[in-house]
Amino acid sequence: MTGSTAILASMAAHLLAAGGIAMPRIDYTAILPELILLGGMLVLVLVSSLSPRPLPTEAYATATVGIGIASLVASLVLWRDVSDHGPFTAVARAVNVDGFGVLFLVLVSCILVVAPLLAAGHLRREGVGGCEYYVLALISGSGAMFMATANDLVLIFLALEILSIPLYILAGFDHLRESSGEAAMKYFVLGAFSSAIFVYGIALTYGATGSTNLAQIAAFLARNVVTSDGVLLGGLALLLVGFAFKVAAVPFHMWTPDVYQGSPTPATGFMASMAKAGGFAALLRVFVTTFPTLRGTWQPAIWVIAVLTLVLGAVVALVQSDVKRMLAYSSINHAGFVLLGLQAATARGVAGSVFYLFTYSFLVLGSFAVVSAVGGKGDERHGLERYRGLGRRQPALAVTFAVLLLAQAGAPFTTGFFAKFYVVEAAVSAHSYALAAVAMGTAAVAAFFYLRLVFLMFSDVGRTIPTHEGAATGGTPTDTLEMPSAGGVATLVAAPVAALVEVAEPDPAIVAVSPWVAAGLVLCVATTLVFGVWPQPLVDFAHQATLII
Amino acid sequence: MSIDASWYLTLAAALFTIGVVGLLVRRNVLVMFMCIELMLNAANLTFVTYARALDDVGGQVAVFFVLVVAAAEVVVGLGIIVAIFRRKVGATADDAHVMKG
Amino acid sequence: MGSLDSYLPIFVLFVLALAFAGLSIVASKLLAPQRPTSAKEAPYECGIVPANEPPQRFPVRFYLVAMIFVIFDIEVIFLFPWAVVYDQLGRFGLVEVIVFAAAAFFSLLYLVANGALDWGPVRRVRPVSSLQSRTTASTVRRVGTGSGEAA
Repeated sequence: MTGSTAILASMAAHLLAAGGIAMPRIDYTAILPELILLGGMLVLVLVSSLSPRPLPTEAYATATVGIGIASLVASLVLWRDVSDHGPFTAVARAVNVDGFGVLFLVLVSCILVVAPLLAAGHLRREGVGGCEYYVLALISGSGAMFMATANDLVLIFLALEILSIPLYILAGFDHLRESSGEAAMKYFVLGAFSSAIFVYGIALTYGATGSTNLAQIAAFLARNVVTSDGVLLGGLALLLVGFAFKVAAVPFHMWTPDVYQGSPTPATGFMASMAKAGGFAALLRVFVTTFPTLRGTWQPAIWVIAVLTLVLGAVVALVQSDVKRMLAYSSINHAGFVLLGLQAATARGVAGSVFYLFTYSFLVLGSFAVVSAVGGKGDERHGLERYRGLGRRQPALAVTFAVLLLAQAGAPFTTGFFAKFYVVEAAVSAHSYALAAVAMGTAAVAAFFYLRLVFLMFSDVGRTIPTHEGAATGGTPTDTLEMPSAGGVATLVAAPVAALVEVAEPDPAIVAVSPWVAAGLVLCVATTLVFGVWPQPLVDFAHQATLII
Repeated sequence: MSIDASWYLTLAAALFTIGVVGLLVRRNVLVMFMCIELMLNAANLTFVTYARALDDVGGQVAVFFVLVVAAAEVVVGLGIIVAIFRRKVGATADDAHVMKG
Repeated sequence: MGSLDSYLPIFVLFVLALAFAGLSIVASKLLAPQRPTSAKEAPYECGIVPANEPPQRFPVRFYLVAMIFVIFDIEVIFLFPWAVVYDQLGRFGLVEVIVFAAAAFFSLLYLVANGALDWGPVRRVRPVSSLQSRTTASTVRRVGTGSGEAA
């Protein structure tokens, strides 16, 4: 404590020398979505502590969906504010309310609306109910929001930790499964490692530029030519490494497969969407707006990372026999596509990345929810073989999964197609032709393993296959895809919830799909198909992602 | 009596390197935690040194946040370790080998 | 040199602590009667000869309390700067600190409600099914070392 006392003494001396402190003016409306999440989280904790009997997990899920909707409304109000009056900074210029940040506020709110629905059934099945999952999800979401709006490297670090630490716990949430704890430990050690690297990068950047405020750093770099730039470049490199760990970009992806496989499946989906959204938001803002003067330095590094991420993610996913591991590598591949937009470093590239993250979040949430349902009680059976003939046993579930997988593959008439199209277009318009070619090549490779899984699901049903071949080749599949999913809603909701599978049964029977999961899946599929056919609103939305500092 | 700032920065860099190497080399999870703490404290030392050199209070404030985050991380980490090794004997990273990689 | 003056009290405290500890040891060496017997040399001076080594593992509860202590201890660090400039912050600072304290208090409530601070007999909170995931590798060695059920 003596160390901190000394610091305090010197701080007080500073303050006295400056003649008192400036009273901070805090514009609470600027951080209202975050405050709603944190306040709601505190209410959940309080209710769970004071309630005499444990409440059902569905009650907490409902409350979380409500909190998510409230923060969505607050974000949209901020959105109107920004589009009417222009972007502004708040809370002593530490928070940046601009189109880019507010878009991510909306995205995080949407994730928090969908994720509790998809998790509730799983938590009940595994007997790990309680408020904790939802509380951790809300904290993590507020961290992601702060990452997207932060205008100060120290705030970004804090937000990164608020985002990550709950995710470590969520990875180890299912304490009855050994692999869950193991995943938590691996995620924690490597995550804390990357955080330490990140904060050292901040310290070096601070030393080189004299500030941690992004706007001041950018202004400093625009005014001055740094002659001995070793410290600055070192700081920049360490920042990049820290971000790359968080968003699982190669060569900093080692934790991803194990953590995605070992974590409870809904937590995996949440982690994949939330960590990527928050990580990429801060990554884009820091590199595109704060260090544009050093673009010549960091663009080649991003180029290399993007190529490695794209190729390794797609190729290694080919040989996976576990669906969760396959999706983990495919998420690495997706991260490569988002990096395409960053590498372009243009307004178009940023909009493409934002659009990609929007679509990807719903796809990955839905996919892991299906995997969770098919995995059955115990959350351990995720082999590819388990999906054989799913199309005959549970056509609605299989069609849902097929839509999500085809969208991830970038099939036309899904949002996935436009997502890939926009980032590749941004790369081409930034003259990164080689990178765009690599991206399209890996998309073809990735399509192979998505389609393999789709065919596996429908392999026992001869008559169903042509429908999905039609979807893959881009005929007129919208009707054939939408009809089953619309009819699937009823089937899903009415699916026999009580029909839990016995462990020892050799022939997998029907797996349970709770109404909650069904509702969440319908939301995911609906966004995928609706915006896949009519993407203009979402595109316009993404193009509002103007970055300011 | 005053020591040049570069000495502190060099010390911080050395501490950081020791932390990185230690984390990559050692297999005991608790030692790995200590290495992470070492890295965070190296960053703290850098912050304070630059704050003094730049005569700016911002770097010192950052140290507070890093300290608290470090404590929170340690608590979560210990919680995870306790949850895992309640059923096991030792606390080495190689004991966690259910999954490949 | 001027800046070092502010460290003088810390230095004095350091010297005083060392002096006190040293004096205590020296005084006990000089003043106490020294009549060692084999019973007094035993690790536990309570009359019972230890049959085997005590279990190496502490109950999980100790770790739990230690972790809770660390997190609440470090949160106090935010109260220090506030206390330094309390006068200038006025009502704004007070409200902010109350919000901060309320958040910390809610987490304390959560801990109490979940029995993290109960020191009575150990309740078995985990369902029995968790025992299935124990492997022989983890149980056999535990029996072999004779440490028994630690937690």
